[in-house]
Amino acid sequence: MKRRNFLQALLALLGSISFASFVYPLVRFLAPPSAEAKARKVTLQKNEVPVGGAKNIVVNNSPAIVINRAGKGFIAFSKVCTHLGCLVEYDKDNNRLVCPCHAGIYDLEGNVLSGPPPKPLPKLPLRVEGDNIVIG
Amino acid sequence: MSRKYLLLLTVLIVFILPSFAPGGYKEEFEKEFMSKPWAGEQAEEDVCIECHSSDKMKPAFRTITEEWRASWHAQNKVSCHDCHGGDSKDATMAMSRQRGFVGSPKYVEIPEFCGKCHIGIYWNYLDSGHGKALKSSVKGPNCTTCHGSHNIQKASIDIINEQRCSKCHSYERAKTMKQALFLTEKKIGELESSFRRLRAEGVFDEDDERALFSTQAEFRAIFHTVDVSLVKDRTDDFTKKLNVLEKGVQDTFKELRFRKNFSAFIMLLFAAMGIVVFALTKTPKE
Amino acid sequence: MLDKVRNWLEVRIGLDDIVKTQLTENRVPKNINVFYTLGVVALVGYVIQVISGIFLLIYYIPHPEHAFRSVQDIMSRVPYGWLFRQMHVVGSNLMIAAVFLHMITVFLMGNYKRPRELTWVGGGLMLLVTLIFGLSGYLLPWTQLSYWATTVVTSMPTAFPLVGDFIAQVLRGGDHVTGTTLSRFFALHIAILPPIFLSLLALHVFLIKRIGISATPFGFSDEERRPLTEYIKKTHPDGYPFYPYLFQKEVMMVMFYIAVMFFAISFMPTLFLPEEANTPADPLMTPAQIRPEWYFLGPYEMLKLVPNKFLGISIQIILVGIFLLWPFFDTQKEKNILKRPLLRGVFIFLMALWIVLMFLGRRS
Repeated sequence: MKRRNFLQALLALLGSISFASFVYPLVRFLAPPSAEAKARKVTLQKNEVPVGGAKNIVVNNSPAIVINRAGKGFIAFSKVCTHLGCLVEYDKDNNRLVCPCHAGIYDLEGNVLSGPPPKPLPKLPLRVEGDNIVIG
Repeated sequence: MSRKYLLLLTVLIVFILPSFAPGGYKEEFEKEFMSKPWAGEQAEEDVCIECHSSDKMKPAFRTITEEWRASWHAQNKVSCHDCHGGDSKDATMAMSRQRGFVGSPKYVEIPEFCGKCHIGIYWNYLDSGHGKALKSSVKGPNCTTCHGSHNIQKASIDIINEQRCSKCHSYERAKTMKQALFLTEKKIGELESSFRRLRAEGVFDEDDERALFSTQAEFRAIFHTVDVSLVKDRTDDFTKKLNVLEKGVQDTFKELRFRKNFSAFIMLLFAAMGIVVFALTKTPKE
Repeated sequence: MLDKVRNWLEVRIGLDDIVKTQLTENRVPKNINVFYTLGVVALVGYVIQVISGIFLLIYYIPHPEHAFRSVQDIMSRVPYGWLFRQMHVVGSNLMIAAVFLHMITVFLMGNYKRPRELTWVGGGLMLLVTLIFGLSGYLLPWTQLSYWATTVVTSMPTAFPLVGDFIAQVLRGGDHVTGTTLSRFFALHIAILPPIFLSLLALHVFLIKRIGISATPFGFSDEERRPLTEYIKKTHPDGYPFYPYLFQKEVMMVMFYIAVMFFAISFMPTLFLPEEANTPADPLMTPAQIRPEWYFLGPYEMLKLVPNKFLGISIQIILVGIFLLWPFFDTQKEKNILKRPLLRGVFIFLMALWIVLMFLGRRS
């Protein structure tokens, strides 16, 4: 084979491989995420969380808490403090959530009352269906 | 030719002349631009530091600011007023009770003083042998016994040592505790340095770094109960959580290696194509 | 089969004529060198930015609460998101380097002289637009680096009397860098600058085609020496055909450009992404070291060194003006830089000054 033809064939081969090495990532890039989108829901019975009380659960591998607020109903939060990531605890007597690491204090809407947390405590979507509470 | 020079001269005058004019805008600009830290000047310091590091202060107090500056608190921007109260911007109100100034706490009041922020540890301490000793007899360790007062460093397992712990009782109990803590602390240390390496390579996994911090904080809070059997019971839980984080870190390192190889492969492809085209330029058509 | 398609097109658009005039009979000077390909390399650099930018746009969220997270997701959760982001980051810096190289080589070969003044002006404006692309894009990941570098640069116009504050406010959309700034920089980056750039590009390419490729100043005597009093398109009847001669050189240089880009992506992935670029923006905490990107370091350092801020900015504006309008200042017929010691000296001095300022700026 003449040198020129060989070089042209080689170029075509390398070019196709390069093209494929961009097309494959592009296809994966654009494809919709599969399992991640389906967040698993957690279902509880209403009577597992008495009025004024709370229950710890795990939603999507992350610790969370469901609180039954007197007069205001159920609410669910992520327990991860927005300061440095410690897990907050429910202070029943004072109707607030307290972080044991640096005294970040949140009210029962998730708003920061005092301390270093920069953002409110993230709320989790919660629905009441009959006798059940569904979180996630 | 001369018209061009005239134009140049005019432009120069229009721009340079105003520079010499005194003007409010110049002061404004200097205030706004030059006073920012990135323009080279220092940020304001607390008024507390100004007095307590000056010559007017008695020598015993003067070392405090240096000790604080070397501390882990200082690095995390926790300064005088965060613990002692008072107004850090106004020298006249810096030590005013109205602004929350509490002065220097007495020996038995230290746990409440530090427990203002370090709540979880405070609760565990109160339940512990150490806490009960302090509350009942004034003779017992408080926070500063192990951690110091102003020169507080990042906590490490070596705070537990023969010199410190045998002041009141035999070192045997402390040694048992240190052994119980040892492996978990080692794993936490390894994970911390792995996360540092990942950051150096451009990966910042906020969620996992938080999970590590939270696990470590919880583990250390439990230590303050000085209850060895509790620590041993809970060690398995902690190890499980740390193992999950460790796997994540290993996976990330693997992914980084893959990325390097993949991009290097593409680089070689294009370099090869460049060389082939170069060879083609030197191969004449017949 | 290919012949059938060719025939079909020939009947409709006169394909053969196009191939002949644009490719095979389009003659370029025999001593054309590889530097003539840099313009196309810069253009390919731009195209890579557009394509990678469009893919990033699919996942990026232009809001201060979500921007950082969306970019982190692209880097770690989206499959091969890291590839496109790295191409965009490395590509932007590499494209600016290519544009600078293109400009320097055109300058050194004197190819901006009459009748090509407008081509140079168009190119200079494209350089400025490219730098603004860099500036606006820099803020979008909303990191500590983005936020504070933008704060520094948007404060520079306050040096002007009267209009300075207003200009800075329009740039930022307020007194400080906020979500409003992010929105307008985003609009600038993806919707306002591209049409401006493309119009300048169209003008630039049109002028090149219409006036003809200039001969290099080295070697045989240049036709441009004669006084120009009427339009004559520059041709090279005994030159080489553009295709395949110059076209091959262009392809080769583009391949090497992309190879360099991937070398940086593989072996220096954190070159343009230091620690501050992986930390979310915190308006309350200024990092110890804030610097603009390397292409702004020279002017930034000069601004810090000149004692009077306003003088500092005016000097820079004057220099930019002289640079843009250089063909109107330099009307000498001699193109060969080796025969122009004064210009050579001044150029080397200014280059050295720029590089020294840049390194000083790195260390501050």
